[in-house]
Amino acid sequence: MHRALGKGPFRRGPSVEEKARDESPDPVGVDVVRSPQWSRRYRALGGLALASLFLAGLLWLYRPEDALGPGRTVRTVNPKMGVHTRLTDEVEPWKIRRTMAMVREMGAPWIVEYFPWAYYEPSPGRYLWDHPDLVIQAAVREGLTVIARLGMVPEWARPQGTSELYLDPERYEEFGRFAAAFARRYRGQVNYVILWNEPNLSLEWGWRPVDPGEYTAMLRVVYPMLKEANPEVQVLAGALAPTLAPPGSEWGMNDLDYLQGMYDAGAAPYFDLLAVHVYGWRFGPDEPPDPQVVNFRRVELLREVMERNGDRDKEVAITEAGWNDHPRWTRAVRPGERIRYTLRAYEIARTEWPWVRSLSMWVFRFPWDQKSYQDFYTFVDTDFEPKPIYLEVQRYARGEDIDGAWPEQP
Amino acid sequence: MARTALRPGVLLLVGLTLALGLLGALPWLRLGSDPVWGRIQAGGRWRVGMDPSFPPFEFLDASGQMVGLDVDLAQALGQAWGVETELVAIGFDSLVDAVEAHRVDAALSGLTFDPRRTRDVRHSIPYFDAGIRLAVAADSPIQALSEIADGCVAVEWGSGGDAVARRLLRQSETPPFQVQAFPSPEAALEALATGVCVGVLMDTVSLRLAQAEGAPIRLLDPPLESEPYVVVLPLEARTLQAEVDRLLERFGQDGTLARLEARWFGAFVDGLSGD
Repeated sequence: MHRALGKGPFRRGPSVEEKARDESPDPVGVDVVRSPQWSRRYRALGGLALASLFLAGLLWLYRPEDALGPGRTVRTVNPKMGVHTRLTDEVEPWKIRRTMAMVREMGAPWIVEYFPWAYYEPSPGRYLWDHPDLVIQAAVREGLTVIARLGMVPEWARPQGTSELYLDPERYEEFGRFAAAFARRYRGQVNYVILWNEPNLSLEWGWRPVDPGEYTAMLRVVYPMLKEANPEVQVLAGALAPTLAPPGSEWGMNDLDYLQGMYDAGAAPYFDLLAVHVYGWRFGPDEPPDPQVVNFRRVELLREVMERNGDRDKEVAITEAGWNDHPRWTRAVRPGERIRYTLRAYEIARTEWPWVRSLSMWVFRFPWDQKSYQDFYTFVDTDFEPKPIYLEVQRYARGEDIDGAWPEQP
Repeated sequence: MARTALRPGVLLLVGLTLALGLLGALPWLRLGSDPVWGRIQAGGRWRVGMDPSFPPFEFLDASGQMVGLDVDLAQALGQAWGVETELVAIGFDSLVDAVEAHRVDAALSGLTFDPRRTRDVRHSIPYFDAGIRLAVAADSPIQALSEIADGCVAVEWGSGGDAVARRLLRQSETPPFQVQAFPSPEAALEALATGVCVGVLMDTVSLRLAQAEGAPIRLLDPPLESEPYVVVLPLEARTLQAEVDRLLERFGQDGTLARLEARWFGAFVDGLSGD
């Protein structure tokens, strides 16, 4: 049945039946005669078309989750304004993008976000960058400057039975390798990295006695690795928790003492900015600093420690701060006070503290309700409904006349 | 030959089937046994956790005793079962964990339903809705938010009432009312009392407390944003939950809940009774 396809010596002559078909005036007959060859071509073409369609379908299905759109910039009267986002456990890409868009629309050019080592290097040398890619691309697209907080030890990198915040001295290099890989991957996108969080609290130091010398030893290992991976990266140390823990406390160390301990251990060359947490509790932002009190201006005392140790050229990034308006929490203030204090705090950072690079309030939004006082630190609900504080901060960032609109103090 | 070969096989199959069936039925057989309820019945008391810092639901009186609406409710439940009620003071943020860890049989402390914890604990039906409501002067003819045309609604700046007002304004093309913010709930209520505004948007607890203190205001139903309070119970406490739900329903119908509310807040004056 097959017609010879080739032209060579093996081509056989047409059969009688084939001849008859070839000579037939019926054009259909011509098609019939050519059909084996053409049908193969058609089949091949059809197959190609189907394969293309299939491929296109696959590409459509697995398209990069929604195009991010054109790059944007933040419109604000205060370039130091920031907020701590909490996207570590946010799995839905549109929510990540929505978060970043709302931060930009609020007028905050800075964000702090947590990137847990344990999530992104589940086994040695195997990195999962999908989630941080999403977060960082979304932030950069919205014109936000990212301060990346790195921490949390993978199971494979810590002794059995220890907490995920237990960073063994023998693992400093592994942590450094992860930090360097992060800095290398996001070079040009993330230029600020915080090494660890609140190391002056035992809870955050793997339930061990805290030790500024040990923390400094970690900085000494990781800092050069980061700089080698990305010379532009600014390394933030500390992220110290404000605490009045007495000497010898099993729970933590006073942040002022801890910072001095870091300098005593020779930490100065191993960080570029000091990260600080300052909560106001029930005190307003203009309450004067006092070593015996946790309040917003406690950062001025930390600044004094820096200056005493010859580190006045370094800046401070406040990476957590804020007031809470939970109706039942004893450290909370009224919602209106929270708004007033927050706006005043941003103003203090802008006008009074030239040594502060950014002030990021805790916390923009949680992926789900915490059902605790933590929900009353947020600026938007889990469903992205803006709270009044969000709208008032937005008005402030737009330079609107907030003073006239504020209700009078009782 | 075939018969003798089949018989042990069939028997084995039947035996295995029965064993598997029994294994599968175990959870159903355990359905009726609620260890928490059993312990309450056997011990003659139930332990209820609460954070006594939330008047008038739970707080300490001059003698240091826990008192309040939740205390009364816990005792009413215990009384209905004929058991003693033991109150345990626990910090607000640890209450649900205390239930999960079986440190108490229930937490009854102005807690709200938490969908994320339904694998850890059970929630009863609601016994109070603390959500955001509109309140007007007791002698006002207004029966709904839509009837506030020219007047303003007072809110505490930054509060849940403020959030609801802003949302409503954002969602409507023509502003249905004006909003005026005040620095405290007291100032917002004062604006209503003095006629500066014709309504106030506020959480039900603050409004009911104002009523308890004699403010001549009327609360309009339903809440514009609901926040129901529930009893939190251990996950395995099926019978206890059924009992709590049954009694809460009964207390709602026989007026017990209304009486408890009136005791701690004063009589509820709602939109209908104001007619």
